Formats: sequence, C-alpha cells, structure tokens
Amino acid sequence: MNTAQLHDAFLRWATAMEQAAPELNALDGELGDGDLGVTLSQCAHNVRIALPQAPDTVPGLLRTAAQACADASGSSFGTLLASGLLSAAKWLEGGRAVDHNALPLLLMHVIDKLSARGGASLGDKTMLDALHAIAQAIERAPPQAALAAVARDAAEQALKDFHDRPCRAGRARMFAAKSAHRNDPGMVAIWRMTQSLVPPRDPAPPRAPSPAPTNQAA
Amino acid sequence: MKKILNEPSAYVDDMLAGLCAAYPEHYRLASPRVLARTGGARQGKVGIVTGGGSGHLPVFLGYVGQGLLDACAVGNVFAGPRVADCIGAIEAANGGAGVLTLYGNYGGDRMNFEMAQEQLESDRLAIASVRVADDVASASPAERDKRRGVAGMVLAFKAAGACAAAGHDLGNVTRVARKAAQACRSIGVALTPCTIPESGQASFEIADAEIEFGMGIHGEPGLWRGPLKSADALADEMLDLLLPELPLSSGDRVAVLVNSLGATPHEELFIVYRRVAQVLAARGVRPAMPLVGRYATSMEMTGLSLTLMPLDDELHTLLSAPADCPFWKV
Repeated sequence: MNTAQLHDAFLRWATAMEQAAPELNALDGELGDGDLGVTLSQCAHNVRIALPQAPDTVPGLLRTAAQACADASGSSFGTLLASGLLSAAKWLEGGRAVDHNALPLLLMHVIDKLSARGGASLGDKTMLDALHAIAQAIERAPPQAALAAVARDAAEQALKDFHDRPCRAGRARMFAAKSAHRNDPGMVAIWRMTQSLVPPRDPAPPRAPSPAPTNQAA
Repeated sequence: MKKILNEPSAYVDDMLAGLCAAYPEHYRLASPRVLARTGGARQGKVGIVTGGGSGHLPVFLGYVGQGLLDACAVGNVFAGPRVADCIGAIEAANGGAGVLTLYGNYGGDRMNFEMAQEQLESDRLAIASVRVADDVASASPAERDKRRGVAGMVLAFKAAGACAAAGHDLGNVTRVARKAAQACRSIGVALTPCTIPESGQASFEIADAEIEFGMGIHGEPGLWRGPLKSADALADEMLDLLLPELPLSSGDRVAVLVNSLGATPHEELFIVYRRVAQVLAARGVRPAMPLVGRYATSMEMTGLSLTLMPLDDELHTLLSAPADCPFWKV
C-alpha cells in the first residue's frame, strides 16, 4: 500500500463513518451510552481536515489520523482507535513494509496494544475479535487475493460467529444476558470500516441473508 | 428532548463558560476543556487532577478549589476527557511537587489519563494515579477493581485535597487518596432517567412505577428492577449491601453521604438519612459530618445514592479540614 492509496482509503473511511453514525449510535444505545456513531463521526471529521497536512509516508499518515482521532473524542472507542493507528504507525516506522505477509503481524501487534490499553481479551466479543478474524483471514488468503475484500468478509463472518455470545468487556459486560443474540457495536464499526476499504471497482459480494450483520434486537 | 440549552453540541462549552463567569474567583479555563483554579498551580504543593464526562455536577469539575482539586479535564456529557485535555489538566496543576490523578474507574477516563501520564512523566514531573471504585452494585467484592466510581469520589477528593493542602509530598497524598478510595462504598437507586443532550436519548427506560436498585450514574444496569419501596425499606436494603463490606464496630465513626442523582429533592434525601442514622445508631456507629444534597449527579435523573466511609483519625481530620469551592465549603 502506498500513501496515495492510504489517503484515498482514509477519505472513504471517513465518509463511511459519517454514514454509519445513526446505525452505530442506535446499536451502542442498547448496550452502552449511545455515542459510538457520534464519536466516529467526530474522528472522521478531524481526519478529513488533518489529511492535507499529513506527511507523505504511510506511518506519517497513520500518525496524523491517530492524532486527529485523539483530538476528536475522549470516548473509549475513539481513544482505542487513536491507540491502534498510533501503534500501527510506530510498527511501520521500524522500516517494515505494508504487504500481504506483514499485515497479519501488524494486526496482531495492534491487537496486543489495544488489549493492553483497553483491558479486553480475545473472545470477549469486542473489536479485537473482528481484527483477529481479519488477521487470520489475510494470513490464509492466497497471494493474489484482494485483501480489503478478504478483511471485509472476515469482519462480517466474525459478527456472525460472535452474534450469540455475551459481551465480556467494557460497559456491555454489565448487560451480559442482553448482549448475547445481538451484534457488538464495536465489531459492527470494524465491519463498516472494512467495507469502506474495498476500492469501488471491487464490488461487494451479495450480502449473506442470515443472520444479518446489523442489529439483531432480541 | 426537553432541556434548557442552545445547541446540543455546545452544551458542555456553554456550561463551562457560565460556570467561569459565575465564579471567576474560583475557576478559570486553562484551555477550552481544562478547568483550573484561578491563580494557577500552587508552587510546591502536590497538584491533584481529576477528569471525566460532563453531566455530573458538582462532580468532577465543581470540586476544583482550595483544599480540594487543582484542575479537571472535561469530557462531553458522559464521555471521557480527551488525552490532550488530561495532559492540559496535569500541566495546569503542576506546582513542581508532582501531580496525582484521581478519578473514577471508567474505561475511557482510565485510558486517557494513562496515555497522558505516559507522555508527561519525566525526571522533572512525577505523576501518581488512584482510581475510585466504590459502587458495590457494579461488581462483586472479589472483583473490586472492576467497580465503577460514583459519589465516593467526592470523599476521596476531599481527603487527598486536604492532605496536599497541608503540604504533604506526592507519596503521602497518593497513600491518603488510595486509603480513602478503598475505604468508601456506595450504592444507588434510580427512579427516572436523564436525557443526553448530544443524542437526545434517555439514559435508560423504566416504567412509571418501577425503580432500578444499584443503577450506575450513566444508567448502567443495577441489581434488580421492581416496584418502588418505602424510603426506610430502600435505606435498609442499601445498608444491608454496604455494611457487610465495612469494618464498623460500636464506637466507630463513619462519613455518610446521601446524594441526589439530580432531581430527587432534599426532603426525600433527609427521609432516607433519618433511617440511615437510626440503623447506624442502633449499631453504636457515629455518623461524622453527614453530607446530604447534590454532590454527584446524573443531570435530571431521579434517585439517590448512599456512601459510607469508616473514618480513622487521619481521614476524619482530613475530611474536617478547610475546603472551599462553589459547591462545598468546609
């Protein structure tokens, strides 16, 4: 991935976050404080403003986006998003390339950092599980695979796999019974993000009919 | 949504502007979301910083004042403060003797203060941290570190603030803050929700005749939901949860805080305090400087919380020491 591709991906991501805000607010309102969409909209707004001044390197773009998200909100998800982007930037500043082989390692590095920062573990039904599913899918994917589509499909599959489990981290853990049989808002956010990363010329496959990856209110 | 405001997105900033305009002798904005004491950091004194979401006045920012806190990082309603504001608050409180960050045990607040501490800590600035986790409804005693911070924070602010004002060093102020945080226990009951301005949504839904026992200050679920009980029955049930966790014997002193979550009037708080005092007296336990009023709210939520903190001589002296902010004077 080069800087132009990452720049374009951030712009698509920002649009997607703004469009997904009502859905994410509603999902978060059932298990949390209902501000996930607002948080990501604020992050998207700040990232859009910050991008033109970003350094012309992949780590530089990631750092700029991290700072923009940190400046946007003190909500947990915004803070974790900023932490994740910053840890990715630092990992790449070590001279590593962003290629097929490196991406799963990068994602696992980010997962470790987010777990340490936020306190959640894999299996808790959080965005970490969506990222883990993406890392595993990219690792398994053939060399010529379109990785954004692989990530999108893996995030969607993770939603289905975790749909019936209770949340065990964050505010949603207090709604253990209620959180089972519905999607975790953070995992839905990751799925929406991966959808936006698929370039427009790579059309999305038909949606899986059931269970739908959006809210499954019990 | 039926609230007195201008733009929902300006709710917090308009509130901060009004607060500073009303009490310029106490408060100044060090930056748009950092409230600090007028006159700046006291040189040679340990600074005490807190932070958290808006919607809980006087918590958090209201307790910036003499013998209390030095600065507060202010988040949106029910949202954590940004890392940059946690950094700004620590810098605003730094008088050269170190800074204690003292805040409630919430994920966003914790992450942002930890990141701020990592960025600022150096040979020239020592930073310590204590989280308050006093809400017994939010986790079992075995998982005390997962409990939320509620009204007990106010007593921890007071004890730590008095210790710092007396000139103690960062280690001692941190020890006192931790002692106070670990000593207090709280439990709340909610009758009606509040509305979050930015989303226009109620913090939770509840039937007219129902209450939620153990609910948190953001509408987090409690221990049970059911019909409203009498004040005495509620007070008894609250005490039944708090007292087994507290080392209180006949002759001991205890700080008692009966706190309105916003809309519950003083009359009803005193009705509950009456019963609490009766039960404590029957055990030979003496309430010391009882606090009854709005100390940690959830905007217009109806309900109350009860906090108990057993007092040894040190904590009693610190709670009794002079303090002055627009919401609490000792």
